[in-house]
Amino acid sequence: MYFDSLQYAIFVPLVLAAYQLMPSRWRWAVLLSASIVFYVALRMPLLVIAWTFVVLTSYWLGRRISDENNVIKRRTYFWVGVAAQVVVLGCIKYLRAILRLIMPGFEIPAGGMDWFSTLGISYYTLQAVSYLADVYLGMAQPERHLGRFALYLGFFPKLLQGPIERAGDLLPQLRSLSSFTYANVRSGILLFCWGLFKKVAVANRLAPFVTAVYYDPHGYRGLSLIAATYMYSLQILADFSGYTDMALGVARMFNIQLTENFKSPYFATSIADFWRRWHISFSRWILDYIFKPLQIEWRNARKVGVVGALMVTFLFSGLWHDVALTFMAWGLLHGAFLASSVVLKPWRELAYRKIGLANHPWRPAFQRIVTFNLVAFAWIFFRARSIADGWYIATHLFVGAATRISYATAVRGGVMGAILNGGSARDFAMLGAAMAVWFLGSTFRKTVRLQEQPIWFRWSMYYSLILALVYLNAYDDVGFVYFQF
Amino acid sequence: MIKQDLKRVILQELRLDDWQIEDETTASEVPGWDSLNHANVILAVEKAFGVRFSNVEVLKLNSIGDLQRLLDSKLH
Repeated sequence: MYFDSLQYAIFVPLVLAAYQLMPSRWRWAVLLSASIVFYVALRMPLLVIAWTFVVLTSYWLGRRISDENNVIKRRTYFWVGVAAQVVVLGCIKYLRAILRLIMPGFEIPAGGMDWFSTLGISYYTLQAVSYLADVYLGMAQPERHLGRFALYLGFFPKLLQGPIERAGDLLPQLRSLSSFTYANVRSGILLFCWGLFKKVAVANRLAPFVTAVYYDPHGYRGLSLIAATYMYSLQILADFSGYTDMALGVARMFNIQLTENFKSPYFATSIADFWRRWHISFSRWILDYIFKPLQIEWRNARKVGVVGALMVTFLFSGLWHDVALTFMAWGLLHGAFLASSVVLKPWRELAYRKIGLANHPWRPAFQRIVTFNLVAFAWIFFRARSIADGWYIATHLFVGAATRISYATAVRGGVMGAILNGGSARDFAMLGAAMAVWFLGSTFRKTVRLQEQPIWFRWSMYYSLILALVYLNAYDDVGFVYFQF
Repeated sequence: MIKQDLKRVILQELRLDDWQIEDETTASEVPGWDSLNHANVILAVEKAFGVRFSNVEVLKLNSIGDLQRLLDSKLH
């Protein structure tokens, strides 16, 4: 029962009805029961056990940390809590590898259950660590109601792919669950549909073109690789921000505001700015719980300390996605981009002055182009199937461009080859239309407050979105990119 | 209330001529005081006043008023 399934479209209104009918003090129980049903329905039994373990350990240790006056005991409880989450995350993520190591002939048990999925665990374990850290630092009060705490970690719209919510942001909302309002249900449905559009019309339509090239990149070079990399940059944004909009939309129907995870990340003017706009709940997590403690610990080393903290933080960021050389390379590239921005800051300003861009109105546009291209370059390693493929793509981006590819060459193995291998010309036209709707819709959302418009205008917009969903969708039951993490 | 000597150290580290700093002012509201530069400002304060903050004390800071109170507690 994923967000883009029919079952989910039936499930949410049923939960909403039960929520509305229940007295206010029991609404947490409706949402918790719905979240458990949602998780159990995925038929991944180990994940439900792991979630229960994470809930119980972090709930109990959070209370112990808060109630304990002895500094050493508080610290011990905190680190035991962190270790418990790391162990459960590691065990679930690498269970298959561990079992194959112990029993080389191990076969996956049949019976329709998925025993090795890791869906959601990376998100709620990080959330549990942030809860323990905030209680330990005195920045949050421990939740003393077990049911509400379980809901904090397992609220179904954000269970599988975040956002990773801070205790201070979500727990107070769960303590006073009010009746739903027409305005919030309407805007929640609209946001859900907008997210669904980004997923099924934009991300799903980009995916075949990207897959055609990234499945076997050695058959391509030059412009084909550049086109596929730019397309992947757009695909992953549409996919992940689409999921987030759907999560935020459903939560909003219950009057719960989840954290915004994306703020036009490809309009960032630097890599640091990009991380303030991309997967915001995760970047806040790594900033607050990895980067800051390391930076403070190593502050006497000044720039060297900052550079070290950045590299460790972004190495973790890569490894959190998966223990693979490709993700390590992606994380280290971002760490290196940020580290070089710290080290080269004085010379960068000097260079801007030399080329006359220091106070030029075009400077932000120039910075956006550079930042987007650095981010897109790093995506190569994120998407590549192996480090060798990633290296091939990174080193063949401009091979071919210098030899003036003729149209015929391009059709055989170049840009058009990539496009036509991935889908038909009609698919490409549909993709263009979906991209246009995405761009116009995003601009519209930033500039117009829809609820303040006349009724005829609002309903024209609703029908336009429905029509775009019906005619431009490419539903193919492909999971969300970030489900794998 | 932020004292002039703390304000002077912060402005000097951030190379600012002047900026309004009050109890509730947060680091991100002061130009140049971003997450990448945070440790440098803390280190400058420690050196200027001859004190040493623990890592947990620094991580608990929410505003410049918190920093002033932490500094006062170390000096008295």
